[in-house]
Amino acid sequence: MKRADAIGGLILFLFGGMVAGLAFRMPLGTFRLPGTGLFPFALGLLLMSLAALFLLSRALASKTDPKNRPPPGEAEIDLRQLLLFFGATLFSLFLLPLLGYPAATFLLLFFLLRTLGIRTWGLLLILSLSVAALSHLFFVEWLKIPLPKGWIGL
Amino acid sequence: MFESLGYLFNGFGIALTAGNLFYCLVGAIAGTLVGILPGLGPIAGIALLIPATFSLDPTAAIIMLAGVYYGAMYGGSTTSILLNVPGETASVITCIDGYQMAQKGRAGQALAICAIGSFIAGSIAIMGMVFLAPPLAEAALAFGPPEYFSLMLCGFVVLSNVTGGSFLKSLMMAVIGLIIGTVGLDPVTGDYRFTFGFTYLLGGIEFVAVAIGLFGIGEVLNNVAQTRELLDRRVIVPRLRDLYPTLDDLRRSIGSILRGTGIGFGVGLVPGPAPVIATYASYMVEKRISNHPDEFGKGAIEGVAGPESANNAACQSAFIPLFVLGIPFAPPTAVLLGALLIHGVAPGPTMLSEHPGVFWGVIASMYIGNFILLVLNLPFVPLFANILRIPKRILLPLVMLFCLTGMFSVNNSLHDIWLMLLFGALGFIMRKWRYEAAPLLLALVLGPKMEVAFRQSLMISHGDFALFLTRPFSCAFLAVTLLFLCLPGIKAAWKGIGRRLFNPEGGE
Repeated sequence: MKRADAIGGLILFLFGGMVAGLAFRMPLGTFRLPGTGLFPFALGLLLMSLAALFLLSRALASKTDPKNRPPPGEAEIDLRQLLLFFGATLFSLFLLPLLGYPAATFLLLFFLLRTLGIRTWGLLLILSLSVAALSHLFFVEWLKIPLPKGWIGL
Repeated sequence: MFESLGYLFNGFGIALTAGNLFYCLVGAIAGTLVGILPGLGPIAGIALLIPATFSLDPTAAIIMLAGVYYGAMYGGSTTSILLNVPGETASVITCIDGYQMAQKGRAGQALAICAIGSFIAGSIAIMGMVFLAPPLAEAALAFGPPEYFSLMLCGFVVLSNVTGGSFLKSLMMAVIGLIIGTVGLDPVTGDYRFTFGFTYLLGGIEFVAVAIGLFGIGEVLNNVAQTRELLDRRVIVPRLRDLYPTLDDLRRSIGSILRGTGIGFGVGLVPGPAPVIATYASYMVEKRISNHPDEFGKGAIEGVAGPESANNAACQSAFIPLFVLGIPFAPPTAVLLGALLIHGVAPGPTMLSEHPGVFWGVIASMYIGNFILLVLNLPFVPLFANILRIPKRILLPLVMLFCLTGMFSVNNSLHDIWLMLLFGALGFIMRKWRYEAAPLLLALVLGPKMEVAFRQSLMISHGDFALFLTRPFSCAFLAVTLLFLCLPGIKAAWKGIGRRLFNPEGGE
């Protein structure tokens, strides 16, 4: 069985169990008058059953089964680039209320562009500054979206 | 029949007002861009533009968002042909012969035949909608909670069966979507469920955040994870004078366009990612009936004309179940359902009588939108194609910024952005582990409706499940559900029998 399938199936099984457990604490009612918890409880059990069936089917499948072979031509993942890109995006959300939209956008773009391989400092600065300014004009000044202003107050 | 034509003319009266024409144009252009840009498909595109429609009346809003959906079908073909990278999933099949045509210096002709085929298919499909929607709406008036529950159940099972990949995985994703749909207030009793003390969760999980996360952020992360050489792939941009197809191209394509239209229209009416299935079905049909099947895969124009017409026809006819039953069968129409509800329009059998302006105005606008797209896509293809010259390493941060800002603007909430990013990460993992996101999104949108229908049915029958089997429509939907549940087993058994018959030694 592929490791991803085993992990995925197990996570879904446990998630189904958790949902069923939490729903069981709610009023289940009767079939005549279903309560708040009945539908999610049934869904939790259904997910557990499907996940168990999935794990079983994968465990029983022979190694020659195409589902158990790695897909052909699967592209390699640049994990470092991905983590830097996503990490910077998450970090910018902490900066957004503090620095305000234009400054946080500028920093985010600067970092994301550099992460993806734009190395020329001039181009990086021009791109980040112009996009941050244009998006501020478009979203804040024109569409009047109340994006966080932060300490700078823009 | 003539009554429907009369309503359609009224619809043209609504769609041809200056404001609605403008929003139709905006939707068509935005859709084309969404289709072209990597990292944005019609689902994320429509979801992102919902906030921009808040100040519009419902007709203008849906005209614009519908334009994004079918505009993306046109735009998606551009990247398939020029870059061998489908702008969205419905254009995957166009890559095969479209890119080969581009390699032979016939990119312009491929793009032109896409635009012409899509226009013809869209126009015919709209006429089909005009005549099919009113009688279907009348029939749907007889539907009660058991029929709706069985129909939605049938929709999930069929969708899980046809999305490709593992049936069990897709089914589990649909159940996850239903579970996420239970977060917030119980639609019947008003009790809290799975809110864990967070007031943010009282209103339920924001479906726009899930849609942009799974389909927008997930795709951006998928692109970012690619190695440098994939990020730097170059694009062929055709010259304007190369855009006109020859008479032979037209002669070879017309049959494919009409067949693709028929296939697409039919597929759009049933649950599933209609445009994707329609393109595959059309390609297979074209290849099978062609006089020169050896040309397929090497730049056969029929391999572009058929699928591209099919995806546009499917995309138009997918509006029928949405408008008439209030049940979207495809993920982009699920997002459109959310938009309709935000604008206070409840789609369903009564939509024709309660909101005739929205219904007929949107249908008429699709015809106008298709014409706008034809005009846009022929002369402006080189212009749109130039967007593809912007390297992905610059485009992807821009798409990410657009998603972040667009998400904030839905409810002016940072929580929504966190949620979107969470689902973005989940979407990326799901892609890598081959779990389909479409059943999850559809189930999330339909979950609350399905639960209400289920509970109402049980209350009506005093807890007797036989009600689902004693009502003819409900029973028919459940029979189809059962058939599709058994289908993977039947297929496996059939393969086993075939192998034993033709290879009794048991070797591979």
